[in-house]
Amino acid sequence: MLLAKNLMVTLGASQILHDVSITAAPGEFTCIVGPNGSGKTTTLKALTGDVRYDGHITINNNDLAYLKPWELATIRGVLPQTSVLAFPFTVIEVVRIGLMTGADAQDGCLALQSLARVGLAHYADRFYQELSGGEQQRVQLARVLAQIPHAVGEDGPRWLFLDEPVSSLDIAHQLQIMSLAEQFARDGGGVIAVMHDLNLTAMFADQIILMANGRILQAGPPSVVLTDANLSQAYGCDVKVGMPPPAGIPYVLPHAARHTGLVATKS
Amino acid sequence: MMFARQRKSLLCLFAMCLGLLPVKTVSAETTDSKIMSLGISVTETVYALNQQHRLVGRDTSSTYPPDVLEVKDVGYIRALAPEGVLSVAPDLIIAEEGAGPRETLDILKDASVEYVEVPNEPTASGIVEQILIVGRALGVEGDAQALADDVAARLADAIAAADAQPQNRKRVLFVLSTRGGKITAGGAGTSADGIIAMAGGVNAIGDVEGWKQLADEAVAVAAPDVILMMDRGGDHGIDNEGLFNMPSIMTTPAAQSKSVIRMNPQLLLGFGPRTPDAVEKLSEALYDPAS
Amino acid sequence: MASDAVVHLADLGRPKDRLQFALKMHVYLCILLICVSLASLTVGATGITPWDMAAALLRGEAPEQMASIVLFDIRLPRLFMGIVVGAALAVSGAVMQGLFRNPLADPGIVGVSAGAGLGAILAIVLGGLLPVWLAEATGMYLVPFAAFVGGWGTTILLYAVSTRGGQTSVATMLLAGIALGALAGAVGGLLAYAADDRQLRELTLWGLGSLAGASWTKVTVTVPFILLALGVAMTLGRGLNGLALGEATAAHIGIRVQRMKNTAILTVAAATGAAVAATGGIGFIGIVVPHLLRLATGPDHRALLLNSALLGASILLIADMISRVIIAPAEMPIGIVTAFLGSPVFLWILLRNRGAVGF
Repeated sequence: MLLAKNLMVTLGASQILHDVSITAAPGEFTCIVGPNGSGKTTTLKALTGDVRYDGHITINNNDLAYLKPWELATIRGVLPQTSVLAFPFTVIEVVRIGLMTGADAQDGCLALQSLARVGLAHYADRFYQELSGGEQQRVQLARVLAQIPHAVGEDGPRWLFLDEPVSSLDIAHQLQIMSLAEQFARDGGGVIAVMHDLNLTAMFADQIILMANGRILQAGPPSVVLTDANLSQAYGCDVKVGMPPPAGIPYVLPHAARHTGLVATKS
Repeated sequence: MMFARQRKSLLCLFAMCLGLLPVKTVSAETTDSKIMSLGISVTETVYALNQQHRLVGRDTSSTYPPDVLEVKDVGYIRALAPEGVLSVAPDLIIAEEGAGPRETLDILKDASVEYVEVPNEPTASGIVEQILIVGRALGVEGDAQALADDVAARLADAIAAADAQPQNRKRVLFVLSTRGGKITAGGAGTSADGIIAMAGGVNAIGDVEGWKQLADEAVAVAAPDVILMMDRGGDHGIDNEGLFNMPSIMTTPAAQSKSVIRMNPQLLLGFGPRTPDAVEKLSEALYDPAS
Repeated sequence: MASDAVVHLADLGRPKDRLQFALKMHVYLCILLICVSLASLTVGATGITPWDMAAALLRGEAPEQMASIVLFDIRLPRLFMGIVVGAALAVSGAVMQGLFRNPLADPGIVGVSAGAGLGAILAIVLGGLLPVWLAEATGMYLVPFAAFVGGWGTTILLYAVSTRGGQTSVATMLLAGIALGALAGAVGGLLAYAADDRQLRELTLWGLGSLAGASWTKVTVTVPFILLALGVAMTLGRGLNGLALGEATAAHIGIRVQRMKNTAILTVAAATGAAVAATGGIGFIGIVVPHLLRLATGPDHRALLLNSALLGASILLIADMISRVIIAPAEMPIGIVTAFLGSPVFLWILLRNRGAVGF
């Protein structure tokens, strides 16, 4: 279980988070949504220990503040929004950077298996910097999956934190990354993702946390949170849920693409 | 002290490893020993004493007389490499004060190379002392005494002649370098200061100690009547037009009268047996430029 | 899903393992260093060689005093000095590049050497003003220690100026380096006014950059500093790899980023400071050596750091041999030789990286 109680984050003079409390269960896909500047990314950074916070966070009943970086690294992985790599590492080398010392030696295939899970095993020897943005993001996911290869470890579930993981990807790769995260949750791990796309969120999330102005507006299953009233209030504009556009204007939803998309990347 | 002991013990360690002990030693003979001469004045004195056949090495600055260029050059006098010095196998090194570095000299001492340091004070008595020390080191005291007497007498004459000239004393600025538009000049205590005084001039920046880079205004305030420079190339080789158009120099009497004297640096600043010639030449250039 | 993947893996074969190759490179570079070291003991103005001496010993003759001095008091300390200084310069470069996430970061180029140099100048000129007890306590170690402090201060300043949120701006870094270098030069110039003739001489010499002054005394002062710094540097491999992904990600994979960065800065300052204090400014080793190794064996710092030490030592010894034979019996300052070897490579790196991320 991941619990955050009364989180407050102050950056400079301004308070970014006010009294944010979150409960996320292993086996569930939790999405944090909200308009720009609502504090969703800051919330994630507090949960991963990247920013100083007041309040209390426990992960598998351990206080985050007392966990050493390397202890934390064995129970949770973080996929950043974008990554810039400094030196010409190959894809497989980038994945191995995520491994603790000696882990790859015990399980020589771990890095390659992780690459295979994101469909990039055949790119192992390519230079990371030569890949497209979407491919790089998948390599980073493979790196995180290599760091926490099993959704449930001996001492409890593992946690996957994703910071807008699919913002720069096309629809097929969005679906692939989200499916991998979903699978991680189905296997018993916990997934917490900051999301921009409400349709993808509705499609994958077990729990949605809707934020606005550094506070939680509403948390719960998609059907409860994604309402006209909630979204209109959070985003400051008139939003209608489940309303198709006037006839004649095409629209594309990820739900319809789901099946074929997966087949395409698997082949 | 501590380090010396440490070095010794390290050396012994290596020596023992290879079973090197005991070690043979080579000793220097006095009158036909091979010598290395470091410093302009020392080298010129060796030639003046007719001992050049014993020279096996010299430093880069020793370029007079031209014959000396045939002798092996072991580098800059202050950055001598120990093995380079040992490779020409001198029995005796005669060096101007300031040769180094210390590490190299320590090793030369260990190698039983005799090392004589010669002070190089830019005064008449300094030159005499220098000649006598070099002569003693070479084992030709008699010749050295004669040379010293001769040089002292000629120098006294030259200085007296310079003093006797009827004109007002000229203010002389010795410019070592004009690099980057900044003037580096010789103040009190430098060899330039010494030769200017001997030649009957007044150092325009005699109130400044040592070699200094001067502010533009300081040059104007010094108000030299004559600029004295070295005649070699490189950044010292600024032409007269460039020199007198430098903002710092432009306002000085020297620029107005276009007075610049260029002399060979070894002759001018060497402070050796040729210094009487240098004094004569400089004095002439200062007060009797026509001749 | 994982089981599907395993099926596909069999067809793919194992990916190239550059790390294994890089680790093998340790052995090759050790062999190279041994060969270069022997050559360095053999080459010199006098023509004395260890082989002749060994042969003489085998014949049961006592060695000439000259030969033992040349070999044991001149070439051997110089060899040690060349090895540790070459290793220090190359490893400082590699660590600095990892820290700044940029292949152009080098203590010489970004002003750390200048800062260390300023420390050394201060110690040379103002050392006489110290109270006697302090001067006696610090002794020979004053100059290297001051160089270390100078390098350390410069590195911290540089990092603070040119790094925002874990990203280094190259332009800012290089410009800050120029500014810091100029500042160090200015303060150095100021001190030159205060210096007496003897101190000035020492300063000039020291600026030339040479291994010629290597004595057992200097070796005993320099080697512990550098070996300590290098030993610590060798533990930074995984941390610098993580840092290549950014500071946040480095923390996420379990690295204590701030601590690692502090260690890296101290390491660079100690190694550069001691090297600069011992031999003056020797450029380009720090940038060329790690770059060549990254081309050959990949950027994995776990192997890169030790390989840099070995190759840096070898290259400095080679440069030193060139410097002492090219105009023998005089010597060319080694900084000139390394600049000749290094600056074309530096330009080549710039050309290759034109338009790449961060440039």
